[in-house]
Order: sequence, then structure tokens, then C-alpha cells
Amino acid sequence: MKEFFKKPIFPIITASVSLVLAIGIMVAAGVSFVKCWDVPMPIEGPNVTEVKMLSEWYDGLKDGPGDTPVYVLKGEGDGGAMLILGGTHGNEPSGYMSAVTFIETAIIENGTVYVIPYTNISSMTHNDPGEGNLQYFTLQTKSGERIFRFGSRATNPIHQWPDPDVYTHHPSGQQLSGSETRNINRAYPGREDGTLTEQIAFGIAELIRTEDVGITFDLHEASPEYPVINATVAHQDAMTIASEGCINLLLSGIDMALEQSPTNFHGLTHRELGDYTDTMAILMETANASQGRLRGGTSEEQVLGGVDDYYLYSESIGMLFVPWDENHHPIEERCGRHLQGIYEYTMAYNNAYPDKIVTYSGVPSYQELFLDADKEDLGGTQLGKFLR
Amino acid sequence: MKRTIVVLLAVMMLLSLVACGEGKPEATLESSSSALESTEANASAVEPVGLTEAFAEYPILITSGGQSADFQMVGTVLKKQNMDFFSNGVATSAEIRDNKTLIIVVGGSSKGLGAAGIDANGELARLEELINAAKTAGLSIIAMHTGGVVRRGELSDKFIAPVFENADYAIVVKDGDQDGLMASICSKSGIPCDYIDSISDVVTVLPAAFK
Repeated sequence: MKEFFKKPIFPIITASVSLVLAIGIMVAAGVSFVKCWDVPMPIEGPNVTEVKMLSEWYDGLKDGPGDTPVYVLKGEGDGGAMLILGGTHGNEPSGYMSAVTFIETAIIENGTVYVIPYTNISSMTHNDPGEGNLQYFTLQTKSGERIFRFGSRATNPIHQWPDPDVYTHHPSGQQLSGSETRNINRAYPGREDGTLTEQIAFGIAELIRTEDVGITFDLHEASPEYPVINATVAHQDAMTIASEGCINLLLSGIDMALEQSPTNFHGLTHRELGDYTDTMAILMETANASQGRLRGGTSEEQVLGGVDDYYLYSESIGMLFVPWDENHHPIEERCGRHLQGIYEYTMAYNNAYPDKIVTYSGVPSYQELFLDADKEDLGGTQLGKFLR
Repeated sequence: MKRTIVVLLAVMMLLSLVACGEGKPEATLESSSSALESTEANASAVEPVGLTEAFAEYPILITSGGQSADFQMVGTVLKKQNMDFFSNGVATSAEIRDNKTLIIVVGGSSKGLGAAGIDANGELARLEELINAAKTAGLSIIAMHTGGVVRRGELSDKFIAPVFENADYAIVVKDGDQDGLMASICSKSGIPCDYIDSISDVVTVLPAAFK
């Protein structure tokens, strides 16, 4: 046997085996990598009248990695226009799952609702492996098991690279860290000849301007150790509507803080869409356990159930900005907050602008999605019951 | 020998870390430190004494104490009750005009301060100038804290004592006063204070303050 190892053929065999193994690993990783580029879309609900692409409003995006579907839900009655932005950040699942739920359940009575489930669709085509993030999670829905992507905060570097050392926002000149150049919520109002991220932002602003969108919702999540959480941030022009909606949310038992958008922090929807379009720009944040720095290992239970014992401990030593107990913060609570928020702010908007009303039904409320659920159904099962 | 040297080096590294570490920063609650210190020990035991008679008059000027949006939400609640008021989040003595009552809704917000283009110290200076002018002009001052526990903490607490110590009446969402800070300030200064459960309950107590 010892003689065999001394034969000249042995190194060739070991090198060949290693090479085959390396190629196998490379192919498996490559297939997994490329599979991420396929982003599962919502199933069209009862009132989806058209599915357009964002490039219909800015053709510079056509057939490129930033061109994202826009679901149009048109009611029979006259009214105004509303826009819901999910998936601004691909690692904030309650944002895009609320948009998906709206698309699959809403029946519009008056006006038109535009829903973009994946605002920065490029950010859904990759994740942040350094964060130990998931690539997918699954939900049991009416049509069986469905897969949803867990993406990244930023545009895929395959689509926009390299990052500059310093990102200078257009047109304010505000300077931020270079990586923020791929964060669409620092890119508004966008520009035609800018980066891919700025072009998507420009497309969104063009949609709002062209369709005369009266109220825009941008749905987010934040880590539990971030101060602006379980909160609404509104442009100053939207504060009257936001105040009324926020009080109604408080009356319905949803603890919601309200903040006015700072005038000197640029690139965000609640600042720039309010400044550069006529829309009432409102952003909402829920508590996402899979996003923070104090969390434990990332898992589907953490993403959907919001379960993380490290946050229970963090709460006990006063490190969090959101109450945390053994019920954690499941996806039903987080989507319920967003969907109830959209409802209450829209009602306040309708009171202020009776000639531009948007009314709808069929979308699950906070009560239906979260409060009425059996405890064992929280963490995805209850949400799945409303999805097609 | 080697082992001893390694242990010594490790101990030296640990000591150097201790030496490099910053001490706990000094308490920086300049504006409200006296009130905070005096209330910490026995605050939670203080039960506020509610308002017994009307004292305030219209017209009302509402402003913020800390630039949270709570003052706008209070305005929305009052509007629903058809109560007339003038609202300005960054009101100064110039806005006092013929107003007879000043309502200051306390709650710190870094976003709100950013929106107003001022910092916490600038906000404290504005409040001091406004309160002094209001007192000189004979206005009644009503302090409110309606943001609950969310509007407590280092930033919000800076604005509590300067406003509450100068008030004629206070309305506080109970959840935000678990440590009894505001009840204690009111008790010490003989200021009537009503606890409410949520911001929407402002209208259950505020109208009784007006003649």
C-alpha cells in the first residue's frame, strides 16, 4: 500500500479528485446564486386590473434589472390614486409581504391603487450572506406552499458596481457612506442619468407625478434597537392626515409613534417624494428581529415568528426601543400594523380630500390578521390563510 | 518561564484595555437634573392631585416641547372637539399676541428637532424664552406629556422639568410616568395633574380647565 502512495500517479489522482470536488461545489453554489435572480411574484387578486412595469413611467428602466412590476387595482367608482411601496429594502419582509397581501385580497371601490411589491427588485435578487441571512422562506397558502425571497437592503452589486468611497446625494449634495449609493431610500427623487438605484427612484417619482398619486405609503421594518420603530414618519404636508390616522390607530389599540420627516436628511421617500411630487408621503416601520445587531442566529422562525431570545434578554436590560416579551413580534402583527396603518391614514386622507377618495375592502385588518389568530398560527400560518 | 511571561503579557494587555476604556460619562441632564435626582428615590409612590377648578381662558396657543409630533396629534384631538387654537411647533414670544393660554406638549424627537432645524439646547432656549414671555404676559400654562413611554428617555426628559415646573396644570398619559417624575414635579410645586390613559383622552379633562 505504501508503494502505491509513492507512485507518480497518486498526486494526479488526488489533484483530479480535488478538482472535480471544487467544480462540483462551484456549480452547486452557482446554481443557488443564479436561482436567487428568480423573484416569486404575487398571485393576482380579485381586483388586479393590470400589471404594468415601472418602465412604462420611465423607459430607461426597460428590460433592465430595475424594471419592476406595478400592480394596478382600479375601482369601479371615481376617486383618487394611492401608491403602496413594498420591498424598498429586501431584508424587511413585512414591507413586501403587506404589499403582496394587499394585491391578493383588496377590492377597490373608489379610485385606483398602485402596488409595487418589490420597489428595488434588484435588492431581492441577492442577500447579505455575511449577516447569515436566509435566501428564502416558505408559507402555506390557499394554493399550497409558496416560496418568498429574503433579499438585501441594497441593490445587487452585480447590477450596480463599484460603490464610490462617498455617496453624494442628488440634488441636495448630502454626503453619505459609499454603500448607501445602492440604498433606494437614499436615492429619491432620483435622476434619469444616474445610477440604477437613482433611475428606479426616478421611475417611482414619475409614476406619482403622471398618475397624480395623492398618498404614498413606503413600508419598512427596523431592528428593535433602532429608535424609530413601531412608528410613522410623514412629510410635513402629510402631518395633518398622519396625526388623525395615528390617533385612530392608537384608539384601535395599535401603539404607534408619529415623527415628522427631518428637512435636512435627504434621499428618503418621506422627504423627497413630498418635496418633488404632490403626494402625501408616509413611511411606516415595524420591529424585525432578523435585522438587528443583538439578535441570535437567523432562522425562518426568527424572520416569520419574530422569535429571538436574545431580544428578550436585551429588553430586560433596557436595550430596546420596542416592548419585547415571550410573544415576540410575528409577521402577522407586523403586516397587520402596516395594513391597518394604510387603512387609517387613507381614511384620514379621504376626510381631507373628499374629491379624491380611495376606498377598498377585503384586506385583512390588524384584528383579523393578528389579534384573532390562534397563538400557534402566528409566525406565518395565519398570514398564509389570507394569501392565494 | 515562558508561561510566566505569557501570563504577565496577557495581564498587561487586559490592564491596557481598562486604561483605554472611557469612564461612564457624567450625567448630562443639565436642564432637568435637579428634578430627576429629587424624584428618583420616591417618585413612583407620588399620586397626582387632579384639577378641581377652571382657570384657563381662550384663545389657546399650542407648541411643542422637544419637537415630537405629539403637539400636532393633540391639535387633531382638540379639532375633533371643535376647540379653537393656534398651533406653532416652534413658537416664540412673538406668537403670544392676544393668546390667554399656552399649551406645551412635551416629547423629544431627534427627527422632529431635525425637521425644525434646531438642536436640544436650542429647543430648551426657545422654551425658556417663550415661557418667560408667557408668564410676563399673564398667560396660563398647561404642560402635557401624551406620548407615553415612547417619549421618555434622555432626550425627552430634558424638556420635562423646564416645562412642568412652570405649568399651572399638567395632563400626562400615565404609561409615560411609571417612575412618577412628572407627578412628583407637580406635587412638589403644587400643580394639579391629571393622568389619562391615551392621547385621545385629553378631551376628557382639558375642557374642565377652561372658564
